[in-house]
Amino acid sequence: MADYIKFVDVTKCDGCRACMVACKNWNDLPAEPEEFTGSIQSHNTLTANTWNVITYDEQVTANGNFEWLFRHKSCHHCGEAFCEKACPETAISHTKFGSVVVDADKCVGCGYCVNNCQFGVIQLATYVDKKGKEYRKAQKCDLCTGRLEEGLRPACVTSCHTNCLVYDDKDKVLAEAEKRLAKIKERFPNANIYNPSGIKGTTTVYLLADKPTVYGLPEDPKVALSQIVWKDYAQPLGKMMLGATTMAVIGAAISTAINKGKGEHEGGQDHE
Amino acid sequence: MSNGKTPKTIKRFNKGFIIAHWVNAGAFFTLYISALPMYTEFFDWLYPVFGGPAGARLIHRIAAVAFMLPLFIMIIFDFKGFKNWMKNIFSWKKHDLMFFPQFLREFFGLKAKVPKQDFFNAGEKVNSWLMIVTTLMLISSGLVMWFPAFFPSVVVWWAYPIHNIGLGLAVAVAVGHIYMSLVTARPSMRGITKGDVTEEYAKDHHGRWYDELQEEKQQRKQA
Ligand code: HEM
Ligand code: SF4
Ligand code: SF4
Ligand code: SF4
Repeated sequence: MADYIKFVDVTKCDGCRACMVACKNWNDLPAEPEEFTGSIQSHNTLTANTWNVITYDEQVTANGNFEWLFRHKSCHHCGEAFCEKACPETAISHTKFGSVVVDADKCVGCGYCVNNCQFGVIQLATYVDKKGKEYRKAQKCDLCTGRLEEGLRPACVTSCHTNCLVYDDKDKVLAEAEKRLAKIKERFPNANIYNPSGIKGTTTVYLLADKPTVYGLPEDPKVALSQIVWKDYAQPLGKMMLGATTMAVIGAAISTAINKGKGEHEGGQDHE
Repeated sequence: MSNGKTPKTIKRFNKGFIIAHWVNAGAFFTLYISALPMYTEFFDWLYPVFGGPAGARLIHRIAAVAFMLPLFIMIIFDFKGFKNWMKNIFSWKKHDLMFFPQFLREFFGLKAKVPKQDFFNAGEKVNSWLMIVTTLMLISSGLVMWFPAFFPSVVVWWAYPIHNIGLGLAVAVAVGHIYMSLVTARPSMRGITKGDVTEEYAKDHHGRWYDELQEEKQQRKQA
């Protein structure tokens, strides 16, 4: 099977928000009316129940006018995903579609993924079970993996009327993206294709009209050193030590018990 | 106790110090057990014990508050004991350094001549330092993980490995400490529970402290 990706050409977005509605509908997510914050952006950021959002950034153009920079913001489906690496329950994994998905049965709502996603994408949703007890699960865009399995395209992509969102063969899309980039360079000199190689590329690729930082995206995201120290060194070592100390304690307990049985004298202390 | 006659005892720790010690131990153990399932899937069977993941997180936080108390308990209720501890662990002399090779010989059952030790022997001093360092690592990183909204992302990212490393070191230190007190220095348990130790133990294990006490006694008699 050829690799497919979701491609977001932000320069074609007119901010209609059809993708937001489509996502809510398809995934049965409750609407979240938010307080008016003085910006026309409808939601400030992604939440556990809002898996994509159109961000609006005001920008001054070369000739002194200003214009809106729209961006359909949702999970990047990182090739090397911080959320997946951080999860202590291995609840996050890659599918054959290159999408990064959360297994709700395994997720315990610890929030480690939330604190480690460098894009601020994944969030915790709070639910109440039958007994009235609260529990939390991590939630985010799953690239409509259920639809992909049916041979359909992601819901947001189908709803997009400007061709800003496409889902197609990776090589084809990336080749077209390069052509498109060359075409818009004049109008947007800082335009770039955002498919960070530091995290082995992403399954949602962007054509941005300006530098990543203008959109609040890291310029060159990489798996953080902290995560490498944590997951590749500290944790395996810690587990080894945990095993070793557990064995030592059990061993000590057994030998103490045996010595007790032999009627060891009180104090058990033989100093010189 | 043992052979009919009551051995003479010496006061070693005040109530404040003893309470601080056991609050610390209890909180540490609770923190450890409640976070094990968060550490790795292998311990997920512990979740039901705490009423699920949310319960484990709550207990970890309650125990975390208890974990931060001992320092204050010590300072408020036994400032003298606290000062003595601080003075001890900053004092490193020849008899402290000489402790280790001799201690190792003793540990492996060889003949050893351990030099006279302070109120806290060199091993306890090392233990104290390791505990202070790991406790600081755990508390500072733990607070960041608890309230991530107040810290820059980079700090939050680093809190996880620091908590993790602190945890590994702290557990190793705790196991060593418990082993020492249970197996090689049993009579010291009386000190940290009842507050006093036998004169014999003081003389054998903390010779310099014992000598100081004797000197003070002499001076008091003369005065
Ligand atoms: C004041 C002290 C402490 C605070 C504030 C604290 C706080 C935290 C927090 C917020 C977490 C993240 C999980 C969660 O959301 O509940 C955590 C995880 C954890 N804590 Fe603590 N903690 C403290 C001390 C300790 C101690 C003393 C131990 C062990 C002896 C410990 C062992 C752990 C472990 C094993 C994890 C899971 C970490 C991982 O998966 O890497 N904590 N702690
Ligand atoms: S953007 Fe965040 S949530 Fe999405 S795959 Fe990457 S790390 Fe995970
Ligand atoms: S909240 Fe769920 S998915 Fe996220 S790290 Fe914790 S267990 Fe994994
Ligand atoms: S791919 Fe699906 S889940 Fe993701 S933003 Fe689009 S509609 Fe929502």
